[in-house]
Amino acid sequence: MISADLNIVLPELILAVYAMGALMFAVYTGKDATAPLILGSTAALMAALGVWIAISGSGAATAFGGAFIDDGFSRFAKVIILLSAAAILLMSQSYMERIGILKFEYPILIALATVGMMMMVSAGDLMALYMGLELQSLSLYVIAALHRDDQRSTEAGLKYFVLGALSSGLLLYGASLTYGYAGTTLFSGILETISDGKMPIGLLLGLVFLFAGLAFKVSAAPFHMWTPDVYEGSPTPVTAFFATAPKVAAMALFARVAHDAFGTVTADWTQIIALLSVVSMFLGAIAAIGQRDIKRLMAYSSIAHMGFALMGLAAGTMFGIQAMLIYLAIYVVMNIGTFAFILSMERDGQPVTDIDGLHQYSKAEPLKALALLVLMFSLAGVPPMVGFFGKFYVLQAAVDADLAWLAVAGVIASVIGAFYYLRIVYFMYFGEERDAIQTPMNAYNWAALVGAAVIMVAGVVNLFGVEALAAAAAETLVN
Amino acid sequence: MTLAVFTFYVFSTIVILAGLLTVLSRNPVHSVLWLILAFFTSAGLFVLLGAEFVAMLLVIVYVGAVAVLFLFVVMMLDVDFAELKAEMARFMPVAMLIGVVLLMELGLVFGVWNFADQAGDLRQAVTPSLSEAHNTQALGEIVYTQYIYLFQAAGLILLVAMIGAIVLTLRHRPNIKRQNIVAQINRDPAQAMELKNVKPGQGL
Amino acid sequence: MNGLELENFLIVAAALFVIGIFGIFVNRKNVIIILMSIELMLLAVNINLVAFSSFLGDLVGQVFTLFVLTVAAAEAAIGLAILVCFFRNRGTIAVEDVNVMKG
Repeated sequence: MISADLNIVLPELILAVYAMGALMFAVYTGKDATAPLILGSTAALMAALGVWIAISGSGAATAFGGAFIDDGFSRFAKVIILLSAAAILLMSQSYMERIGILKFEYPILIALATVGMMMMVSAGDLMALYMGLELQSLSLYVIAALHRDDQRSTEAGLKYFVLGALSSGLLLYGASLTYGYAGTTLFSGILETISDGKMPIGLLLGLVFLFAGLAFKVSAAPFHMWTPDVYEGSPTPVTAFFATAPKVAAMALFARVAHDAFGTVTADWTQIIALLSVVSMFLGAIAAIGQRDIKRLMAYSSIAHMGFALMGLAAGTMFGIQAMLIYLAIYVVMNIGTFAFILSMERDGQPVTDIDGLHQYSKAEPLKALALLVLMFSLAGVPPMVGFFGKFYVLQAAVDADLAWLAVAGVIASVIGAFYYLRIVYFMYFGEERDAIQTPMNAYNWAALVGAAVIMVAGVVNLFGVEALAAAAAETLVN
Repeated sequence: MTLAVFTFYVFSTIVILAGLLTVLSRNPVHSVLWLILAFFTSAGLFVLLGAEFVAMLLVIVYVGAVAVLFLFVVMMLDVDFAELKAEMARFMPVAMLIGVVLLMELGLVFGVWNFADQAGDLRQAVTPSLSEAHNTQALGEIVYTQYIYLFQAAGLILLVAMIGAIVLTLRHRPNIKRQNIVAQINRDPAQAMELKNVKPGQGL
Repeated sequence: MNGLELENFLIVAAALFVIGIFGIFVNRKNVIIILMSIELMLLAVNINLVAFSSFLGDLVGQVFTLFVLTVAAAEAAIGLAILVCFFRNRGTIAVEDVNVMKG
C-alpha cells in the first residue's frame, strides 16, 4: 500500500529528496560557489518534472487515505507551477549575482517552496492543506528577506511574515471549526456532511475563516495590504517568483477547497468570492494609477488580476474553473515576460525600478520596447492579445452564472486599469527626453521577454490548446 | 460542582488572564512569562480533556523551546520598550471594540455546538478505549502509519526553518581563530619547532 | 464529560483567539508582542482541536494539534530570525517605523 502511495507522490518526493541532496552537496563542497550549478540543476529538474507530469499523468488517484489527490486539475496547476518556477530561477541568476546575494540556499528554498505548492494543489485534507501552505509560506518568508543587509528586503520579509502568520492563524481557526462540525478533516467527508445542500452555522463560520486566510494568500482585497510593500522590498527575482507560482498554487487551493469540500453549497460561498473579486479588481485598478515604481505597479496589477481569476471561481461552475485556469496560465506567462524586462532595468549599473526611466525607451531598444508593448497590451486586456481572451473567458463564465453585475464591474475595472499599462507604453514611445535606463539582458531573460510577447500574439490562433486542457482539468474538480 | 468543573473554571480563568496580560504588559519579559503561564495552564486543560501527550508536548516544546527562544530574543535585542508602549493607548479603544464584537459573535455561534449527523461515522481515527491503548500509544500508532505523509511534511517544514534561520542570521567573521582539531593532532615536532643555531655573542 | 460541555472549551478558545487578534491591533509597534499574539491564536486553535477531538472520540484532532505545534515552532524560529535581521539593519523593532517604503 505504501509503495502505491509513494508512486503517486513521486514528483514531490523527487523534488524534496533532490532539495535535501543539493543542500548537503553545497554545504560540504563549495558553499556559495556552487550556487550557479545548483540553480541550473534545480531549474532543469523542475522543468523536467513539469514536462513529465504533463505527458505522463492520467486518471485520478488518491494517496495516504485521501490526504493527497492526483487528478487532472492538480496536474494542470503543477505543470504551470513547475515550469514558471524553473523559468524564474533561470532569469534570476544574473540579477542575484549582480547584487551579490546568489546564495546556494536560494534555489533550494525555491525547490522546497515548490514542493509545498504541489502539496497545496493536491491537498485532499485540511491537514495536508495546512502543511503544504506552511511549507510554501515559510520558504517564501525567508527568501523575501534573503537580502539580509538591505533594509527594504528585511522589512518586506518582516511584513510578509507578520501578515502571513496572522492569515495562517485565521485559516487554522476555520479549519478547526470545520473539523469540529464534520468530525473529519477529509474534504470528501466534509462534502458528505453537507450533501443535503444546507449550511450549518458552525461550518459557515469555519468557511468564512478558511476563505479569509486563503484570500490573504492570493492577495485578494481587502486582504491585500502586504502585497505592494512585499513586492517592492523583496529582491526583484523574488518578486517575480511571488507574482507567479505561489499565486497559481493559492488560487488552485482556493478552488480545491471551494469545490471539493463545499461543492454542494456553492450559493453560500460564491457571494463571498464575488465580493472579493470585485473589490480586488477595482482596488488593483485604481490604486496603481499613482504608482511610479514598477514593482509596486505590478503588485497592484497582480491584485487586479487575482480579482479576475476569482471571478471565474465565483461563477461556481465547471466553465468558471476552466476560465480561471486559462486566466492563470496566461497571467503567469505575461508576468514572466514582464519581470524578465524589469530584472534587466538598470541605470549606471544599479538596478532601478522607477517608470520614469522608460521615457523614449523605444528609440534605444525598438525590439524590447515592442515586446514590452505587446505584454502591456496583453496585461491590460486589449483585444488582439491573448490577455484579452483570458478576461473574455472569466467574463463569460460570470455571465453564464447569472453574475452579470460582476462581469460589468470587471469590464469597468479593466478599462480603468488599462490606463496605467498604456501609460508605460506612452512613455516608451512618446515620452519626453529623460535620464534613460539601460537594459542589458542575458540570453534567458531575452528569450523570456521575447518568447512571452510572441506567445501573447501567436496564441490568438488557438491559445496553444490550453482551452481543452483546462476544460479537462476543470472536469475532474467539479462534478 | 465536580472537581473537573472546578478545575476547568480555575484553569480557563488563568489562561484568559495570562493571555490578556501577555498582550498588555509593559515589559516584554513579563509578556513572555505570562505567555509561559498561558501555555502551562492550557496544558492543564488538555489533561482535563484526556490528551496527555499533547499536553506534555505543549510544556516541552512551547515552554521549553519556543518561549525560551522569545525570551532570548527579547533580551538580545536592546530595544527601548517603554517608548514602544507609549503609543499603545492610542489603538486601545478601536482594538477593544473589535475584540468585544468578535467575541460576542463567536459566543453566539458557540452557544450550542452541533456535530454533523454523520460526524460519528466519518471519524478517521476513533479513539481506542483506555484499556486498549493509552493516549500516547494510540497517537503513536497512527502518526507513523496513517499520517506518515504529513509527518514527513512536518520534517520538511522544520528543515526550511533551519535553513531559514541559518541563512538569515549566520555571519562568518573573517578574523576569528577557530580550533582545528585535525591540524592539532597532526602536528609533529618537525612542523612545530625550528632549531636556530644562535651564534654566541651575536643573538638572532 | 464530568459535567463539562464542549461549549465551555470553545468559549475559552474563542476568548484566547480574540485576545490574540486584539494584541496584534494594540501592539502595532512591537513585533515581539505581535509574534506572541500569533502564538496565542495558535494556542486557541489547539484548544479547539483537542476539545473537538475529545468530545468526538476521534484522535485526528490531536494529530492536527501535533502538526500545528510543530509548524508554530518553525514559524517562531523563522519570525525571530527575520526580526533579528531587521533589528541589525534598523536598530529598532517598531513596525510603525517601517516606512522606508510608503503605501
